[in-house]
Amino acid sequence: MHRVAQRRIIIPFLLPALLLLGVFFLYPLVRTVDISFTEWSRTGSYTYVGIDNYTRVIDDPGYRNALKNAFLFTLVGGCMLFPVAIAIAWALHQRIHGERFFRFVVFAPVVLSVAVVALLWKFVYHPTLGLINPALEGVGLDVLARTWLGDPATALPAVAFTTVWHGIGIWVVLLSAGFERLPPDVLEAGRIDGAGEWRLFRSVMLPMMRDLFRILVVLWIVQSMQAFAFVFIMTGGGPFGSTDIVGTLMYREAFERSEFGYAAAMGVILVVIMLAVAQIVNKVMKRDELHY
Amino acid sequence: MSSTTDVRPAVGASGPGPARGHRRGRRGGRRRGSDRAPFRRFHLIIYLLLGAFVFSTASAFAWVFNVSMKTNAEFIGTRPWTPAEGWRWQNYADAWSSANVGSFFGNSVLVSVSATVLGVVVSAFAAYPLARIPFRGGGVVLGVFLLGLMVPWMVTFIPLYVTMQDLGLLDSRLGLALVYATYNLPFNVFVLVGFMRTLPGELEEAAAVDGAGPTRTFLRIILPLTGPGLASVSIISFLQNWNEFFYALVLIHSPEKMTLPLGLFQLGQAADYGTNWVTLFAGMIITVVPVLVVFALLQNQVTKGLTAGALKG
Repeated sequence: MHRVAQRRIIIPFLLPALLLLGVFFLYPLVRTVDISFTEWSRTGSYTYVGIDNYTRVIDDPGYRNALKNAFLFTLVGGCMLFPVAIAIAWALHQRIHGERFFRFVVFAPVVLSVAVVALLWKFVYHPTLGLINPALEGVGLDVLARTWLGDPATALPAVAFTTVWHGIGIWVVLLSAGFERLPPDVLEAGRIDGAGEWRLFRSVMLPMMRDLFRILVVLWIVQSMQAFAFVFIMTGGGPFGSTDIVGTLMYREAFERSEFGYAAAMGVILVVIMLAVAQIVNKVMKRDELHY
Repeated sequence: MSSTTDVRPAVGASGPGPARGHRRGRRGGRRRGSDRAPFRRFHLIIYLLLGAFVFSTASAFAWVFNVSMKTNAEFIGTRPWTPAEGWRWQNYADAWSSANVGSFFGNSVLVSVSATVLGVVVSAFAAYPLARIPFRGGGVVLGVFLLGLMVPWMVTFIPLYVTMQDLGLLDSRLGLALVYATYNLPFNVFVLVGFMRTLPGELEEAAAVDGAGPTRTFLRIILPLTGPGLASVSIISFLQNWNEFFYALVLIHSPEKMTLPLGLFQLGQAADYGTNWVTLFAGMIITVVPVLVVFALLQNQVTKGLTAGALKG
């Protein structure tokens, strides 16, 4: 009986949300593909040019450079992120003093704005006014001091490090949940068999969390291939294009040169590549279910 | 998209599930000392590792605060860790008024509060039928909402810009708030549907027997019971809207309409070519402190919520 009355509210309840979603999300989403087949003039008029944009993107050395940097960024950032995040999650699993405080500090950067964190680190890396070089000189390691963001060799890793520093809290929490789900009896059995903590970590915990790692790696790839804000604020793609990634390239094409169609094509291609890479990594890291 | 769909069950299973209430978990924060492991030697390494992390983070913030108390001449002339000569709160006043941080702050409050309220209210209404009234096409509608969690921003920002232009909402705080509210929706609906589904199914029947119509049932019975879920999505939405940079960059151009992250970015650009660094540092502190206070007070809720939101990419 009340079911009939309930049916009357379905549409009015859903309508406002669907309206917002339709106008600001679904419509733009559908329009992307349409826009990627057009050529825009600076006055805002456009003509259809077929797949021209796509063929141009494929031949564009700037795009290939951006793609290479995006892969590099993903790889370098991943190598910085996962060992540290796993170590911290493991450490927090050890029921130590001040766990709540440590969790607070590790997670705190996550709630800060990307803009603030990027600016902060841009100054930390500053060769003379920053924090790192004077500190290195202070302890006598002058040889390591360099213009971190101004040197093509160090700029990309420096930006990747900042990205990792900002987001590591989320990965630590996800990994912590993985550590907590490990069956205690298996760990106990290992301890009784005389395994040390390191042995336990390497031979029992890591293999058992393999599925979680696979998911997190895929998630990292999908996220970091789309990186934008840190690079945009800290280096703007420079020096000499050494940190130019697809996001910054697209932004410039779209808003500095009004090449909306071309930029949209770049985005579509990146997403296709990204999903393919994620799929491959997913397959490679997958293995038969293990039962303990 | 199948690669991204894999992510969801894992994230859902790994703790932040909003519906599961208080976990008996060890990270509940109310642990007694007896639950703690006895000290072992390898714990030293752990403290060293975590201590290094804490030290680097704390020193970065201490440095920003210290610089915000210096003069520009001091900033250039002294070593970074030389303490400021005095408490120059004047820098904060300068940042607030002459560097427009006050105006950015006002815009940020306006945009993020209105977007959060709109997003939460609209998604609460949408979540109710999706969670508790079985109807044909319900699964598809839910799927459309969840699609928003997976589609990369890269494929939508150009058409969004063009659409906003067509609607006359470019460079407007209203437009930005509407966009923020929309981009909060998928996560809000995802969490609230999960939350509402855990409420007992007899609630509606009992209310109907007492003669309450469905709207009244929703407003007076279901909504109050969803309180914790609403609190959770409100906090997360607010933090996200407060910190959002990219859409503000794309959609807002006039300095008097900029939000804090975008405004600070502009100040940072200006500091590259100018000489006014200390104001920027004071501005950074002004941006960061409210967020850190919110986080300190609501740590557990924020952690759970943002972790569930990690799949948003």
